[in-house]
Amino acid sequence: MSTSLLIQRPLPHGGRLVERVVRDKEVAKKMIKGCPTYDIKPTLHYETGVPVRNVYREIMSICYGFFSPVEGSMTQAEVERVLKERRLLNDWIFPFPLVFDISKEDYKKLGVTKGDRLVLNLKGKPFAILDIEEIWEIDNLEEFAHRVFGTPEDNPEVVRHRFDKKHPGWVIYRSHQPVVLAGKYTIINEPKFRPPFDRFWYPPRKCREKFDELGWRTAIAHQTRNVPHVGHEFLMKNAAYTGDIEPCHGILVNAIIGVKRRGDYPDETIVEAQEAVSTAGYIKPERRLVSICLWDMRYGNPLESLLHAIIRQNMGCTHHMFGRDHAAVGEYYDMWATQILWTKGIPSFGFDKPPTDVPYGVQIRPQNMREFAYCPTCKEMAYSETCGHKKEGISGSLLRGMIAEGVQPPSVILRPEVYKVVVKWWKHFGYPFCNEKYVRDKEKDLEVDLEDL
Amino acid sequence: MGHYILVLLDENRLERIKGSDVENNIKSMFGGELKCIEVNVPEELSQKILKTFDTARIDARGAITDLPVAFMREFFNQIAEKKSIGPEVIEATLAKADQIKELAAKESEYLPPPDIEV
Repeated sequence: MSTSLLIQRPLPHGGRLVERVVRDKEVAKKMIKGCPTYDIKPTLHYETGVPVRNVYREIMSICYGFFSPVEGSMTQAEVERVLKERRLLNDWIFPFPLVFDISKEDYKKLGVTKGDRLVLNLKGKPFAILDIEEIWEIDNLEEFAHRVFGTPEDNPEVVRHRFDKKHPGWVIYRSHQPVVLAGKYTIINEPKFRPPFDRFWYPPRKCREKFDELGWRTAIAHQTRNVPHVGHEFLMKNAAYTGDIEPCHGILVNAIIGVKRRGDYPDETIVEAQEAVSTAGYIKPERRLVSICLWDMRYGNPLESLLHAIIRQNMGCTHHMFGRDHAAVGEYYDMWATQILWTKGIPSFGFDKPPTDVPYGVQIRPQNMREFAYCPTCKEMAYSETCGHKKEGISGSLLRGMIAEGVQPPSVILRPEVYKVVVKWWKHFGYPFCNEKYVRDKEKDLEVDLEDL
Repeated sequence: MGHYILVLLDENRLERIKGSDVENNIKSMFGGELKCIEVNVPEELSQKILKTFDTARIDARGAITDLPVAFMREFFNQIAEKKSIGPEVIEATLAKADQIKELAAKESEYLPPPDIEV
């Protein structure tokens, strides 16, 4: 086809994919010879001690290019710029500070300085290196956490309530350690994903190659951290009609895999339940790819949507669907904050225009969707802006309640094949959702194993 | 914004409220495939529930969700006993918060899965 209306796959954010992975073990061994080592520790909740983050996930997503053009732990000046303007020092937009933080005690013990190379061990094996460019301190962690997400005073366009310890993303930043080792990461010992995650691992380069193999010029991304109900399925099916002169060739489901909260579905359930939608034929596999990205969700609604756009542009998507309360928890942000960002921008976050229209912005096209709900009159899933009847909403929490009480949800809201996956992992873990044991075990075992170097 | 708790009704539960005024509040959802009651929760009690049960949250529809299964069972028991969906059933359920928390602690370790082939 040769019409000028065709949309082409965008370049990665920043112009090139970051790939900082050394695959030659001999080279890796030479790179780490004589360097000090540090065992990566999970970030623990500042009050309860429960794991809330593991920086290894950030290192993976940075080094495999999901977060291109970010290459490492940010310097103080870069974090300041991200907090003020949501831009990196090279001007490309980016929503969140990403840092390698350690305690003052660990810093004293390590005795590293600027210019040192630190070997980062994961599960007792060498995993990555951090070439230290700067060492700085976060003065006030509570203030830092507030600045990350915004406040009703500073960001009145979208922040409705002051963030607090009920917000898991705020807790992540509040629980950071004060000393930051800034510098580029390089993975020197590639971790191996355990089943079922291994078959969903499509880092950006591999994902772009997969799109070529599938013949997808256009692809729309679907963000998930959930088992798909029929409302999600209809969102995907209908958003995918967007494209150029034809609907998008593919739907990329990208599940964010990371630390879990009690009550979430286990990650194993999420990826296999998403897969079941395709294998059962509700959306045929030739048109839908399920993938993962490692990240401990910050639940930053509009800010998180910006990160999602960057990740999926890097993976090769041309479009990204965004729904109500995107990546949100509670009522901290306006429920349409993500749509506000992508339709007119949020000046107080540094965007006087949508992130697609500012210099050094993203190229992926947002598809702002409203809601799908069941219409008893039409007797089908209906789009809120199309169907004029009174509808019945499906929410993840409604389904969770139903499942926990032992009621199989009707197939009109949850496909039986998806329910079977839920029950499969329920039998495995003894519980349908993440409980404290799952949360703790997951952060001990992680999603990967490492071989000796 | 007013909040509510959605109580799902299976055959056993429908039987227990049969003939009472509560029956008038039964809603049919998803083309008749699901029966339920929406119990309105005054703001003060919403806050009390959120404070008492740390998993509880308010979802996009304004429903209070992620309550322990033990809470939901006791909540229905109170509805069936008092034949009401007024604030008194919420208060009576909250009065048993310690007992519910004890049960919830056990249920957070293990919930018997449904006996279906997977």
